[in-house]
Formats: sequence, structure tokens, C-alpha cells
Amino acid sequence: MFPANTKFLVIDDFATMRKIIKKTLSELGYTNVEEADDGATGWPLIEAATAKNEPFGFVISDWNMPKMQGIDLLKKCRADAKYRALPFMLVTAESEQKQILEAAKAGVSDYVVKPFNSATLKQKLEKVWAKVSQAPKAA
Amino acid sequence: MSAAAKVQNPLFDKNLINAFVDGVAKTLITMAQTKVSVGRPFIENSFKLKGDVAGMVGMVAPPMRGTLVISFPKEAIFSILKNMLGETYTEVSSEVADAVGELTNMFYGSAKTSLNQLGYKFEMAIPSVVRGEFTISKNQGGATLVIPVELENKSQFYIEITVT
Repeated sequence: MFPANTKFLVIDDFATMRKIIKKTLSELGYTNVEEADDGATGWPLIEAATAKNEPFGFVISDWNMPKMQGIDLLKKCRADAKYRALPFMLVTAESEQKQILEAAKAGVSDYVVKPFNSATLKQKLEKVWAKVSQAPKAA
Repeated sequence: MSAAAKVQNPLFDKNLINAFVDGVAKTLITMAQTKVSVGRPFIENSFKLKGDVAGMVGMVAPPMRGTLVISFPKEAIFSILKNMLGETYTEVSSEVADAVGELTNMFYGSAKTSLNQLGYKFEMAIPSVVRGEFTISKNQGGATLVIPVELENKSQFYIEITVT
């Protein structure tokens, strides 16, 4: 599983969902969590954290948000070599095939469909960790 | 569009009604460990807000346009949030309004996924939240289907679907 000091960025336009995700992360032992209310405010946080040499180790973002949607933030990250391997999970209230395909094509690490419980989120984190820990390290 | 999704008066469309009822039930049991029972639906000629706070989504599924409103009296939403967040609320604060928005988002998303699998073409939408009194004006609203939903503590809230 991801180390306990992993820095998370939770992005959702609803504070309630951010609170639910933060609570679940805290139950799993992750307390280094920052928040943003959409992709447009999340992106500068990602950049600033990297500039300070304290990069995020995981981004959990809602899909459907005003200003910049989660899928657009994901694409922005994947277009930048610095964030190509950043674990990025999308949270969506919809689970239609075309959406799943779009997310996979954009390079999402995994996605979780709302409504979900803490066991589901934990399972998804474990799945992403399994992928990350097996991936070859960049030179 | 499949045969099941042929356009009829949406207020009498069982697929539509079941999708919203199932979306509400699934969301509340998963997020708030709250079981619901559904009362007898009825039609109102004009929309009237029934609660203290409501989540609202503009539904677009060509050729249908409508509004989904989830109206919560205080007792019902406070009970749901107690289970969902472990927090006690005594007034309809901005935190309560935010939670109503997120719940409405999940209800709509869950129903939309089921309906689109049947061939409907519901589009994504971002919900808004209203507090206090308001009406849907006559040129936008037709009749409203009201589905009462009861919680275990006997408080009720309402799924209200208005179509044009």
C-alpha cells in the first residue's frame, strides 16, 4: 500500500465529498491531504507542490466540476512529463462505457463510481499501488 | 434508442421513475447506511417546494427537458447527514446545502447511468441547491410527478420530476 506519508490532493466542487474522502483516507492512516474545489484550482497546487519539492503522491479528483473538469486536469497532467506517472483517480457519479474508455485513454490510474463506501476506496487505492509498485522506475 | 426507451409522457414512464427511485435508494444505503421505503407517487399541476432545502438538476434528454428536484424537510436531511458524516446539524447551514447538492448529484448520476444503458440520452449536469421558497415558472414547468420517500425514522423527503 502507499506509504503513510503519501501526500494526497482531493479535488471536488462539493465540500461534503472532500470531507468523506478525507475521512476515509484518515481511517486508512493518510493525513497529509490537501483540497481543491475544481481542476482550475487544483493544477496550481500540483505545480506549487512540485516546485517546493514536496510533490503530491496521489490525486483523487471528481470528474464533473465547473471551470476545469477532472478529466481535463488528468489530460493536463499526462501532457506534462513531470506528472505522467502521478497516480490519478477519477471519481464519477456515472459509469458509462464511453466515459470509462475516455478516462482509460487519458491515462487514469483507476476510477471510483459514486456512491461508494470506504472499503471500495481502499480497494481502489490498493489496486493503484499494485500497478505503481510494479511499474519500472524512471531513469 | 431501444424499444424500452421510446418516448412517452415521462411522468408515466416506469423506467424513468424506477431509475430515480433506485438511484436514491442505492446512494443512501451506500453512503449513509440508510434504508428507504417509497410511497405512492402523485401528480401536481404546478411545482411546490415541499422542504426546507432542495437539490435541483436540469435534465436534458432530447426531446425531453425537465427538472429533477429533491426536496428535504429538515428532519429528513439531518437524519441522513447524521448517518453519512457522523455530524449533528440543527439548522440548514451552507454545509447542509453542500451535502444536498452532492446527494442530488449522486442520485442523478446513478439514474442517468441506468437510463442511458436503456437507450436514453441523458446529459451530464451540475446540480444547484435552493433554500427557502421558490417556484418553477409556468413557461418552464408542466405537471410535476412527486414521489415521497420515507426514512426509517418516519421522516419523508420528495423526488419531484417536472417535464416540459
